[in-house]
Amino acid sequence: MVRTDRRGQPLMVRGQAIEAVRESWLVQDRWWTEHPLSRRYWELVSIAGADLVVFHDLHGGGWFIQR
Amino acid sequence: MAYSELHAHSAYSFLDGASMPDELVAAAAEHGYRSLALTDHNSLSGSMEFAQAARAQGLRAIHGAEVDLANGRHIVLLVRDARGWSNLCRLLTLAHAHDRDVPSGTPPPTAVSLEQVREHADGLVCLTGCATRGVHDETTIRRLRDTFGPEALRVELQRPFLRDDRMRNRRLQRLAGRLGLACVATGNVHAHAASRAELQDALVAVRHHLTLEASEPLRRGNHSHVLASPAAMAQRFSDRPEAVAETARLADELCFDLGQDLGYRYPGAEDQTAMGRLAELCHTRLSERYPGPSPLASQAQTRLEQELRVIDHLGLGGFFLLHHDLLVLAREVALEVRGPDSARALLPPGRGRGSSVSSIVCYLTGLSHIDPIANDLLLGRFLNEELTALPDIDLDFPRDIREVLIPRIHERYGRERSALVAAFPTYRSRGAIRELGQALGLPPGDIERVARGADDFGVDVRRDIETALGADPAGPVAASLSDGAAPRPGRSRRWQWLVTLAAQARGLPRHLSQHPGGMIVSTRPLIECCPVIPAAMEGRQIAQWDKDSCSDAGFLKIDVLGLGMLSAVERCVETIAHTRRERIDLSRIPFDDPATFSAIQQADTVGVFQIESRAQMQSLRRTRPESLDDITVQVAIVRPGPIQGGAINPYIQRRQRLRENPDYPIPYPHPSLEPVLRDTLGTIIFQDQVLEVAQAFAGFSPGEAESLRRAMSRRRSAAAIERHRQRFEEGAQQHSGVDGPRAQEVWRMIEGFAGFGFPKAHSAAFGLLAYQSTWLRVHYGPEFLAALLNEQPMGFYPPDSLLHEASRRGLALGRVDVNASELECSVQSDPAAPDGLRVRIGLGYIGGIRRQEVEALVDARREGGPFVSTADLASRSGMSRPGLERLAWSGACDALPGGRSGVNGARRAAVWELGVAGAGAPGGSPGARSTQLSLGLDVPSAPALRELDRWERLVADYASTGVTVDDHALTILRPHLPGVLRASELEHHPHGMPVSVAGIAVARQRPATARGVVFLLIEDETGTVNIVVGPELYERERRLVRAEPLLVVSGRLERPAAGGGTISVLAQTLRAVALPTRSSAQVHELAQRSPDVEAQASDLRAVAPPAQSFAAGRRR
Repeated sequence: MVRTDRRGQPLMVRGQAIEAVRESWLVQDRWWTEHPLSRRYWELVSIAGADLVVFHDLHGGGWFIQR
Repeated sequence: MAYSELHAHSAYSFLDGASMPDELVAAAAEHGYRSLALTDHNSLSGSMEFAQAARAQGLRAIHGAEVDLANGRHIVLLVRDARGWSNLCRLLTLAHAHDRDVPSGTPPPTAVSLEQVREHADGLVCLTGCATRGVHDETTIRRLRDTFGPEALRVELQRPFLRDDRMRNRRLQRLAGRLGLACVATGNVHAHAASRAELQDALVAVRHHLTLEASEPLRRGNHSHVLASPAAMAQRFSDRPEAVAETARLADELCFDLGQDLGYRYPGAEDQTAMGRLAELCHTRLSERYPGPSPLASQAQTRLEQELRVIDHLGLGGFFLLHHDLLVLAREVALEVRGPDSARALLPPGRGRGSSVSSIVCYLTGLSHIDPIANDLLLGRFLNEELTALPDIDLDFPRDIREVLIPRIHERYGRERSALVAAFPTYRSRGAIRELGQALGLPPGDIERVARGADDFGVDVRRDIETALGADPAGPVAASLSDGAAPRPGRSRRWQWLVTLAAQARGLPRHLSQHPGGMIVSTRPLIECCPVIPAAMEGRQIAQWDKDSCSDAGFLKIDVLGLGMLSAVERCVETIAHTRRERIDLSRIPFDDPATFSAIQQADTVGVFQIESRAQMQSLRRTRPESLDDITVQVAIVRPGPIQGGAINPYIQRRQRLRENPDYPIPYPHPSLEPVLRDTLGTIIFQDQVLEVAQAFAGFSPGEAESLRRAMSRRRSAAAIERHRQRFEEGAQQHSGVDGPRAQEVWRMIEGFAGFGFPKAHSAAFGLLAYQSTWLRVHYGPEFLAALLNEQPMGFYPPDSLLHEASRRGLALGRVDVNASELECSVQSDPAAPDGLRVRIGLGYIGGIRRQEVEALVDARREGGPFVSTADLASRSGMSRPGLERLAWSGACDALPGGRSGVNGARRAAVWELGVAGAGAPGGSPGARSTQLSLGLDVPSAPALRELDRWERLVADYASTGVTVDDHALTILRPHLPGVLRASELEHHPHGMPVSVAGIAVARQRPATARGVVFLLIEDETGTVNIVVGPELYERERRLVRAEPLLVVSGRLERPAAGGGTISVLAQTLRAVALPTRSSAQVHELAQRSPDVEAQASDLRAVAPPAQSFAAGRRR
């Protein structure tokens, strides 16, 4: 679903090439629970002009689309 | 790319930083940083420690602080030069100036105004602050630019990986461009390594008294606040390389070195006339203290000249005069506090302690009360020509004098020029378990069980949890323990985190507190050398540095210590003057009193100074001191140094041999050591003997010997000790002509001692007070007991234990009584009492009643005569209903005339009646004041209430006053303890016999020197028993040992022939005493009326007086 460069920055999301990264942020929380949260979020602009928010689950692996 | 971190917090930001300065420094050095700034929040508390650590690692330390502005925003101020340092100190002093202003209950926030920043901007560089709370508006940044100029202001860019980072930084960069300012990148570091990131989160929750869940908006949201490498930071700011480069450029400009002279001088340091004035003062006093020609006077003269030469050589004339001035001030304060006609007026205002007591200059100037010539005290440890740091003069004062003296010192030297030294209480196991457990949302009951069972100095929290909850904290059993129901997986991970976080938090400073007595005074405003903040106690203020930082900065620390026993003996002298019309001058009592020495030799010393502990008592029966000199040794003997150095048993055995055979030849490792070790029978007991042995045996100079002592005691550097060992062994062979093995044998004596012992001078000072307090106890028992009870907390025994012991000695005791008790415990005439005197417990012992209420009650009784009924009490005392109930429940109304008083039902009846009489504020909270009846109206008689039985009265006594003067718990329980011996019966049984004993835990000790052995002192109705709990049993029964108030112990009786009558029980099994069950409809009825009554009606465990714990430290 998401293809990235060597540093983990998304290059393509669902086949759409990424034009620009608007923002990237990190959420690390609930580490004291059975379900710790560790996600790297990316707000992206696709080549088609769509604004996308995806995150990489740094614990379980895998990419997810938020918006 | 070069990057310097200019914004980093350590644990000295107090609950907003998870690493110590030295950890940050080590991590920075490992990452390849050349410089690092420490910018703790409104604090420079860690700066000196940071500077020292950085110097050791070859890292350049940059100093600064994150400072709150009055508008709630933060800026970072970095020190460029010495002027900047003094300005930052002044600014932080201003920021904290109103920390203790609490007229409305909430102090104003710690902050400075922009105007104050403007007035103190010289020498400082300002960064605009962090991503979330920095200064981001143009107006304020313009004002900052006007204040600092563009060359000393940087717009701070951070990348905390939040959602608005890029937008914020773009905006800030544009703003910087418009204002002609450079940008600088920072990491806002709060931990030295990723492994501490979770702890930082937890500390935020602790700081806000929230759980981790609830503190989510206040936390950072991720772990990017960890110190990253310069390369990683360059990568993080790859779109702003100029901001990264600016860090290194700016760092190069910030050249201030905290190791430089801060301009501190103590008053008199540069006074050229000081030496002459000191010599004149000493010579005048010399002829008074040593009148006429005598060998002692001649020795004193020689010694004085020698000391004055050393003092002159070291330039310390002003140092001694400053301390003397302080004593003169203390004398004025003492006169005020004691009153001119007080019996206490005969006593000096304070006393010396520590090595300074060996100085004749201190003796002559009043800074010591011990004659160093008569007591053969050597000077070297305190003062020698090779001294490189300022010597320590410690002064003990009674607590009431000290309380007035400290603010008076601020007044004398100026509030800008004096402050108390800070102390930083650090996390230990129990505090960490409680606070972090709460943050993790663990069940409060379970947290408390774990905390109570934890060894506060231990490191294995996992074990503490296992012991308390009975299972592996990570396992499902522990998870289920909290509920007693099905396993809840969510819990076990939290317990695991508690193990990790508590271990990490251990040793981190939690907050700033006050050193027990260290004060700094300065000629230059101290607030230009170190920030000074208000203390919790009104009129006091504290420097932000602890004693080590003050010492590293070259500050003179004057120790103005409070000594509970000094207060107690002064109270005692005053009470004796009232009760017996005798004025006692403790310096003129007989120092060879047979009755006093008899008590000491029989270890009948409960409550006296220093020689009252379990270990001291065991030792006293064997050493049997016969003189003040013997007590001087005795005071020093139960210390880690003599214990680890293997001195105790040889000393005791040699004393016993000498008693049997006065010609017994004391064995010395070498003839050169005979003069040095003669007083201690060939063993090393005093700290200064380490120095003397090194000099006499291995030819060390005084300075070398002191260096050896410091290496052993303070920071035990293995390399330094090894250097000293080599030097010692070579020196011994050359100087004393011994072979290698003999040199090594003596070295082992020194090494074992390791410096943790008293100097002889200190022991002499404390030994004198030990004797004086014993003399008072022997001859004025009631007055001494009352004084101890009024000076609590202090000493080895809790008040309840002191009372039981006094009762066994035949002293007459009286319970709290509204018609007989004063606020404090008092000594009252009573023809029925053995001595004609009875010690009456004060109403102040009743918990939960405000002091003013008790004072008002006592005043009302004085004005209007004794209370004649509960209605009269309720009417005239002015006390609130909760207060009246507490009075009644404590038994203070038992003896009120009329009605049902005087019988066991009185207490319940009084609670009932006072509940009716004081009904103005039903259910009022403790301390709440109700509307009182203005007239002594009759109240309805109480209904028929069941009498309290003995056990219920005991529980009520403990719940209300923490003491009981009636039945001992074991007296009541005895019929339920078949086969269990009384303490008094043990002496009739042979050594090695299996026995069972039971008692209430009085003290628990787990000395570091005892290899895991725990010593318990339990008390039954006939006396105390020492219980020795081996490490295995302790681990198995830790909860019982640490928290159970009533224990049955089975084990082997230890009564060795050489023990001089010492008895102990080597425990094999432990169990809790089964308590009588309580259930009564009437008790429940009472319980509904007051939560405290409910507690009182529950079992003794909830209300038993806490045992003195080794971990809690002893108060003197």
